[in-house]
Amino acid sequence: MTELTLKHVTKDFGGLRAVGDVTFTVPERSIFGLIGPNGAGKTTVFNLVTGVYKHDAGSIHFGKTDVRPLAPAKIAEVGIARTFQNIRLFSQLTVLENLLVACELQKRAHLTAALLRTKVHYDDERVMHARAMELLEVFDLAGVADEPSTSLPYGNQRRLEIARAMMLKPKLLLLDEPAAGMNYGEAEGLKAQIRWLRDTFALTVVLVEHNMQVVMGVCEEIHVLDHGETIAHGTPEAVQNDPKVLAAYLGGDDDEADEPPAAQAVASGAGERSGP
Amino acid sequence: MAGALVLFTVLDFTLDRILPDSSIRQLLLLAACNVLVALSLNVINGMAGQFSIGHAGFLGLGGYTSAVVSSHLHEALGGGDPTFARSFIVVPVALLASALIAGAFGYLVGLPSLRLKGDYLAIVTLGFAEIVRLLIATAQLGEKQTVGEAFAQVGGPKGVVGPFFHALSVAITSLGGQNGYAGPKNMGVPLYAGPFWIFGLALVLGILAYRLKFSGWGRALRALREDEIAAAAVGVDPTRYKVRSFVIAAVGAGIAGGLMAMNRDGTPTVQPDNYNFAASFDAITMVILGGSGSVTGAAIGGVLITFTIKAIEAIQSTSVIQSLKRSASWLDLNALRMIIYAGVLIALMIWRPEGLLGERELFQKKRSPKPSPKPRGTPPSEGGDTPPDAPPDAQAGTP
Repeated sequence: MTELTLKHVTKDFGGLRAVGDVTFTVPERSIFGLIGPNGAGKTTVFNLVTGVYKHDAGSIHFGKTDVRPLAPAKIAEVGIARTFQNIRLFSQLTVLENLLVACELQKRAHLTAALLRTKVHYDDERVMHARAMELLEVFDLAGVADEPSTSLPYGNQRRLEIARAMMLKPKLLLLDEPAAGMNYGEAEGLKAQIRWLRDTFALTVVLVEHNMQVVMGVCEEIHVLDHGETIAHGTPEAVQNDPKVLAAYLGGDDDEADEPPAAQAVASGAGERSGP
Repeated sequence: MAGALVLFTVLDFTLDRILPDSSIRQLLLLAACNVLVALSLNVINGMAGQFSIGHAGFLGLGGYTSAVVSSHLHEALGGGDPTFARSFIVVPVALLASALIAGAFGYLVGLPSLRLKGDYLAIVTLGFAEIVRLLIATAQLGEKQTVGEAFAQVGGPKGVVGPFFHALSVAITSLGGQNGYAGPKNMGVPLYAGPFWIFGLALVLGILAYRLKFSGWGRALRALREDEIAAAAVGVDPTRYKVRSFVIAAVGAGIAGGLMAMNRDGTPTVQPDNYNFAASFDAITMVILGGSGSVTGAAIGGVLITFTIKAIEAIQSTSVIQSLKRSASWLDLNALRMIIYAGVLIALMIWRPEGLLGERELFQKKRSPKPSPKPRGTPPSEGGDTPPDAPPDAQAGTP
């Protein structure tokens, strides 16, 4: 029972209500989409769940754990991993080292073991190294394991962030715009990878994404925010046809002949989803 | 390493004969002590990237603690000349005490200031070092009453606080104030730490620092320096790691300070002015000169700065400078050191801002420096700027 439950969550930044009275539950082992126009509060929700910010009202529970009193590092320990909208890799570290940092929590060897170079230390390093390489294989990054992480192309940096998050052996994975900057082919690959991760590691995935091709194609349930407030919730089909959602994205509630690009994105997402 | 320890043992007995000039011996031992100073400061300033500018405070705590412990232990063991055999009792006990005291104060100073973001650590450590120095330098029991008694008079809680402050002020006063501490009977601090201890500890602690850097711990510190939010998101607790590295740095400084106080070829007194801001600044220069984050770099910086300081002292005693001083008595010769230092640092910042070694190590295989975007075996997908005809490629994760 490790579902993520938000109840009446509210967060104000000064006079600005970033998130207002948001309630939703992410079922275990689902792929859940959190969408909305820019400034809707999606990333703030992620920051609240991962402890970067603390909500002012309401509650966030992961399983039975209340995340509010926990520091971000502790929340990672509980099993919530995330990626960042503006990629946050450790730029001076190599690709492999980026992953190895994420396994400090799982180590049995502590500082003294590392200083004395005991057997536990070497065993730990070997196990972690093997796991990291395995994940790099999965994300097709094994060939660049010893490269500085910033030398990777953009799409690979995003995949590296997901791989790093997976090193934590999380139960819940929060992906903040994983498809940003990806082309059609890469986005298709990403969709497959997200499904594969969920199935293989029994994960719950929450996705903040603007790319409707990905959102509509992979999510089982979608929650839509606008100006910090819930405007719709349901299956991809229901959300796409929700007049409030269309209004939020298009800036009006009428159906003009000249559709702005966002509408095409929603529309093409629909076609995409029913395609395969 | 065992071989090195044997060598140092031999040196312990023979160095007097190999190098009859005690000032050169002192220089070598001081250089090794300064290596320890730089190694310990490097943990917090270099590896963890938190700027501490009060390292002298911890050196002072370690120095005074070792001086007090070793001289009392020396008396208890019967006095006389410090022997090599007896140093195996005195030095470990004194250094352990120094390490504990310095570490405890490191925790007290670090915990509140490292929780905050920004440069608070620099301010707090600077203040701390000056407080330690001034407290010892200016301590004197009042003619009529002590701090503790004054406390009791103004109606402060009697019982515990008054006597505690009284004992504390008596203890601090017994450290000799501005004149320095020279043992309980003013016979001088017994100088137990010979080449075996100083070179040996420099080697052992150097290896430990190296292992610290090349462990998961060092990796986590580097990650933390890069991006605190991302590090926290993968389970590296910033406060915990920073406070721990600060305590490690303080412990190292305590040991270095203790060794300096007991340095066989040093002076048998410990003086507050040894731990002024210039000493902290020297330590920072060592780390920056060698390359922040590099263990071997810090060691090289420690040696170089020691030699530079001595060279400047030698220049100051030359006849030209002396005659200059006679003609202009206002000339502060210590300022010469600062001028040369400043020159070196400015030159370093211009031509080699990362220090001599940067973050690299002396005996480390070079990481491929070129940011080659196309290593072998990469899939064709190159990011968002490639034409959309790139195939969905063989994502290994595809079910």
